[in-house]
Amino acid sequence: MKNKLRFAVEAEGLGKAYRIYASPGRRMLEGLSLGRLKGHKEFWALRDANFRLTPGSSIGLCGANGAGKSTLLKLLAGTTAPTCGRYRIDGRVASLLELGAGFHMEFTGRANIVMNAVMMGFSRREVLSKMDQIIDFAELGPYIDEPVRTYSSGMGLRLGFAVAVSVDPDVLIIDEVFAVGDMYFQKKCIDKIYEFKKRNKTILFCSHSLYDVRQLCDDAIWLDHGKTMAQGDSVFVTNEYSAFQRHHIGDQGEVLADQFPEKVTQEERARRPDLPSIVDARIYRAGTDEEVYQITSGESIEIRIWWKNPTPEETPIQIGTAFMRQDMTTCGGMGTHLDEFYVRGKQGCLVLHVPEIRLLSGQFLVPILLLDEEGVHRYQEFLMPDNLTVRVNTREVGLFRLDHSWEVADYDVPRTVAVQDEGEGA
Amino acid sequence: MTSPQSEPASLPEESPGWITSRPTRMGEALQRLVRLPALIVEHRDLIITSVKRDLEIRFSGTLLGWFWPLVHPLFLFVVYYFIFTKLLNFKIPNLPPGSEAALGVYMFCGIIAFSAISDALTRGTNVIVDSGNLIKKLAFPSELLPLNVALVSMVTMIFALLVFILACLFTPIWQAPGVELLWIPALLLVQTLFIYGLALFLSTLQVFLRDTLQFVGIFLTVWMFVTPLFWVPEMMGESIEPYLPLIHVNPVYHLVQAWRGVLMGELVVMDGATAYEVISTQAIAARLGVFSLWAVGAYLIGYVLFVFSQRRFADEV
Repeated sequence: MKNKLRFAVEAEGLGKAYRIYASPGRRMLEGLSLGRLKGHKEFWALRDANFRLTPGSSIGLCGANGAGKSTLLKLLAGTTAPTCGRYRIDGRVASLLELGAGFHMEFTGRANIVMNAVMMGFSRREVLSKMDQIIDFAELGPYIDEPVRTYSSGMGLRLGFAVAVSVDPDVLIIDEVFAVGDMYFQKKCIDKIYEFKKRNKTILFCSHSLYDVRQLCDDAIWLDHGKTMAQGDSVFVTNEYSAFQRHHIGDQGEVLADQFPEKVTQEERARRPDLPSIVDARIYRAGTDEEVYQITSGESIEIRIWWKNPTPEETPIQIGTAFMRQDMTTCGGMGTHLDEFYVRGKQGCLVLHVPEIRLLSGQFLVPILLLDEEGVHRYQEFLMPDNLTVRVNTREVGLFRLDHSWEVADYDVPRTVAVQDEGEGA
Repeated sequence: MTSPQSEPASLPEESPGWITSRPTRMGEALQRLVRLPALIVEHRDLIITSVKRDLEIRFSGTLLGWFWPLVHPLFLFVVYYFIFTKLLNFKIPNLPPGSEAALGVYMFCGIIAFSAISDALTRGTNVIVDSGNLIKKLAFPSELLPLNVALVSMVTMIFALLVFILACLFTPIWQAPGVELLWIPALLLVQTLFIYGLALFLSTLQVFLRDTLQFVGIFLTVWMFVTPLFWVPEMMGESIEPYLPLIHVNPVYHLVQAWRGVLMGELVVMDGATAYEVISTQAIAARLGVFSLWAVGAYLIGYVLFVFSQRRFADEV
């Protein structure tokens, strides 16, 4: 049976336990007794993961730190062996568990490209033929012949990513590696990943950003302490995950920090369980109780935001939101601080009326931002149950419908302004 | 994504392509042992690139550059030559005319061979632990790491040999050896195999028991003195006689004697009526044969142990 497998990636009951030895002596004892004396404790980083991916699909892994996301990716990348279960992958695999793993600081970018690619199992000739393309993508220009130690961290990231994607794998495994790059680099990576999807490549991707997971992946798996909590459509899974987090805000002090980890750290939350939070937020058809996430351009909506703030005197809040297109373009931002509208009290429901939405067709993410008094520090970034999909019935193009009208008139052609002085001076 | 529950384990247990939790079996280990040449061919680009890289890391940017692999043995040689010949007044008596430098060359040949092994084993023991980050982040056959160490050692040995042969040709210290030089490739190859086998073995131990490197350090020091590098066993008098059979157990003894035969040629000294055969060219094949047995044994044991433990490396380093 040598024909093409139906699935690009299959995993059945996949699990991984790490062995923890209290001391080297315990390990030796276990080794010498050929395993009869058990000297280790087991830590199950991943249990019973099951999924199948068809070629061209993409799957996102989400979950808190230590949920087993990286372990799953490491298993599939083949750097660590499963403790139970099995998996198989059809085709060439490139994994980006860490950008620039294996780079040697003293060598030039060019030498590192070759080294990195042959480590991934690609031939020297293959790399050399793609050298220009890689250098181009990494945008290193003349620096490519400088030692990597002289690179900025961003340049190192670009180089690592460029190598991994240049080798044209069938299955691409990406741990959260580009979250550290700047916006431009992230955009570039995401564009590249989109391109892979279009070319029927399979992508496994792990991110703390639920936004990225929704945006990049058809499907998602939510892991918690190694167990699969939900899997399926990425919007469904990310919703389950944020709902879970929402319910745990109050009792555990654990928060949505994962979605935007740099804004509020877990520790900060744990220290201050009385921090303000957003309880829920939904979009309704204006003036009705009908929840809508698919509208036609020109319709009116209202966004209802339920919030609480146990200590309004100490932590006055502002609430903001934005319509963000999938490529991270912010199409419109609104905030109570911008409109000098004050959110007072310990809890309540804030309603934002957006009449006659002029956005043209597209999918928009509508995050709700819980901000401090000045609108600088973000306490929380809340994701809606679904993205807002806008459709148009006309053939208009662009992002927005601008107010406009046409007229016939008879103005004279304006005389070209002379720039002779400059022209003669040169 | 489809739910696998819809099609419960329809595939037979041993269907191809699956990567499972089953530990490596003896059969598979032996299969991989046999397949090693194929693996080397398949990954030749990686091997060549990383050997080059290793050599560059070690020597580029240093003042002496490529002479460094010689400096260490030379230094050892000078120190021990001074101690043994000047302080302890050790000499080979009744040397044939024209071979007055025999003891020095004898020591030097022993030292370059032993240094090659000792350097490579020190590096080799730590190679898996040192490359922990690579092993964790990139999927590649990790048996290439000890191989890399063995090959780097081979290249530096070739360089030392070149320097030795050039010195023979252009200085009057020692007569350039003859057809025996044709043994060099075979010796190099077997020496590399021996180093590879031991490096596989020791690097595996080091992953699970970090004390290994310390043991290896002590062991190599002892090994250096029990191997006849600075002394000639046949000329040590009666006190050494009970130990002579033990000396022959030492694989490196056979290796250095073979190297000496190849690089120095025949050396027989007369002490009264007794003829001592210090170095014999006749015995090269036999010496190499014994050493080859050791090398193959080291490789078999080292490789099998390595393959059995390999799947746990990423979790342990």
